[in-house]
This record gives sequence, C-alpha cells and structure tokens, in this order.
Amino acid sequence: MEMERRIIRATWGYDGNLEPLYEVEDKEDEIRVTFDLPRVRKENVEINTTEDTVEVMAKMSDAVCWERWGSIQKKITFQAFRKQIRLPEPVDPEKASASFKNGILRINLPKVRRKVFIPIE
Amino acid sequence: MEEGVITIAEEEVVVHKNPIVIEGLPDVGLVGTIAASYIVEKMGYKEIGYVESDLFPPVMVIHEGKLENPFKIYGNEGVVVVLSEVAIPPNAVYPLAGALADWFNGIDAKLVISITGLPAENRMDIEKPEVFAVGNNEEAIKKLKDKQMELMEEGFIAGHYAMMLRECYKRNLNAISLLAQCFPVYPDPGAAASTIESLEKFVPLGIDVGELMEKAEEIKLKARDLMRQTALSAPEMQKGVEQDMPIMYR
Repeated sequence: MEMERRIIRATWGYDGNLEPLYEVEDKEDEIRVTFDLPRVRKENVEINTTEDTVEVMAKMSDAVCWERWGSIQKKITFQAFRKQIRLPEPVDPEKASASFKNGILRINLPKVRRKVFIPIE
Repeated sequence: MEEGVITIAEEEVVVHKNPIVIEGLPDVGLVGTIAASYIVEKMGYKEIGYVESDLFPPVMVIHEGKLENPFKIYGNEGVVVVLSEVAIPPNAVYPLAGALADWFNGIDAKLVISITGLPAENRMDIEKPEVFAVGNNEEAIKKLKDKQMELMEEGFIAGHYAMMLRECYKRNLNAISLLAQCFPVYPDPGAAASTIESLEKFVPLGIDVGELMEKAEEIKLKARDLMRQTALSAPEMQKGVEQDMPIMYR
C-alpha cells in the first residue's frame, strides 16, 4: 500500500504548486513543524492554523521553470509551495508562533492539554 | 544479474594509481550526494563504471535522452567518486559495503573517504556547519589528527558509511568519514560545502564552494524527491541510534 502510494502520489501539481519537504516533531508540550522553503522570503509566507491542522502557502521570489518535467515531459513552472498537515494532537492556534531563517520555516504549536497535578501519597 | 549480488561494472579502462575514493551516497541531508555531485561536475570527472544489483529498486535514470544507471562511479587514475541518484535500500547496505570495499581493495585505494551528515537539532541556527571525522584504524585516526580534524569521540554511527568503515577495516584499507552538521530531512548544500572544504585537506582538488552556495536553493529544489526517498528508509537504517549514547560511554 505504501509503495502504491509512493508511485502514484506526485509532490507537485499542474496549478504551479510544489509540496514542500516538512517534518513534524512531538516536543512534549508542543508540536513543532518545520518546512523547507527554498526561494521563499519571509514576507511571502502565509500560515493558517486550526486546532488540528496547519497550512502553509509560500510564494517563491522567482518562479522555477523546468523545460521537461518528469512524467509529463513538458515545460512547467512552479511559483509556490503549498501544504496542509493534519497534526497528531490538538493545539492552541492562538498561542502558535513561527520563525523563518535561511529558507526554513519553524512553527511552534503548543498542545491543548489540561494538566492535573497528582500528589504522591 | 546474479540474485542478491552487487556487481561493480567498469566501463572505462582506468589504470588506478593508489586512488583516493570519495563516496557520497544518499543519507541525512543528502550531504554526501550533493558534495560528490558537485565534485564530479567541477572536476569534470568522466563516468568509469556503475553499480547494479537486484537489491536496488528497478530504476534507471534518463539524462539528456540517454539511459543511465543511477548508481555511478566517476574519476581518473588518482581519484574515484562513487555516487547514487537513488536511495539505497536498507537490505542492500551490508552487501553493498562489502562489494565496494572489495573493489576499492582491488584498485589499491590509498584512502576511502565517505562524506555524510550528522543531524543537528539546532541546524537552523548554525551559520557554518562543523565537520566531524571518524577513522577506521589507527593510521586513519592519525591522519585525521595530523589534519587537525575534529574527531567524533563517542556515539553511534549508522547507515552505509558505518558499514563502509567496518568493511574497509576488515580489508586493511584506511577509511574515514567526514560528517557535517546538517538538517536530517532537508537537502543541505551548506553542510556539503563544509565537507568539501574539509576534504581539501586530504585531496587537494582546489574546488571553490562559492557556486555550490549560490546554487543552494536550486539544488534543494532538485533534491526534494531523493531526500524524501532517503528519509523513508532512515528508520530502518537505524539513523535514530545516532542520537543515542552508548552504554560504554567514557
């Protein structure tokens, strides 16, 4: 099933969007998501978060054009990265923060978790 | 093609003169692959052979309309570069390291240098990645110390380069690994540039990494899919163990 998914699942679209490489890490109190966004400037990144998803749209500073792209063997131009990720745990979108450096976007999403103190008898 | 066997095919007759071998196979940050490809391009090395096996995915690559093997060997009498455009399946790691070490032994290699990365949690905040080194025997370690390389003193290493060090050791071949701090799952041309600068201490090729840094974003875009393939096999390669501390820590 995994192999089937890898064969048929392209990481680009005819709409000019590329799927960025990303990583989701569980850091105890928060979910940290990073994206690799080459050719992107900070001001062209848009992040939208809900309790269980994070979506990133990032416009490249200049479009990238490949004359004979992969399986279509035709000219194709990509202008942006776009990806929506379903998060492994609910987060508080109001408390999310993000930073961007050298093409890497890091989003810190604090988990929604009610802590209960348990005293040791 | 013999079942379960790694074959190294030589296409060009090269009279090797104690060559230095540079290996850049897909691993964390694609550091080795990016560095080796850049070296081949800048030095204009020609293809002298390829590696094939039914343990590899049934993939060929087409460049400028020409059918090519994705796992290639480049070089000349004095330098051999091994690089792959496809991820190495975990079940091929042991036989591949053994077969390559046999071939390196056969061409009387002076030194085998594997270029790879060392995942750094704070890579985003590191401007210039540091390079650490591992040697497979006393002579290799002495060489590293003489060149004032920062030695990796404790820890686990995992993946092809770890087996390469071991297989070379078994054949009395000097081997070292150069590991640059890198992003684990993003192509890292900055880390590749650091390894090329360190490599200069062992093979004075005079390569300027300026163009590599200028083209970093383009390289990252082109390397996305190989990075994705490589990251998929990382858990099976036990890459996570590199973050662990050995019980015999001194």
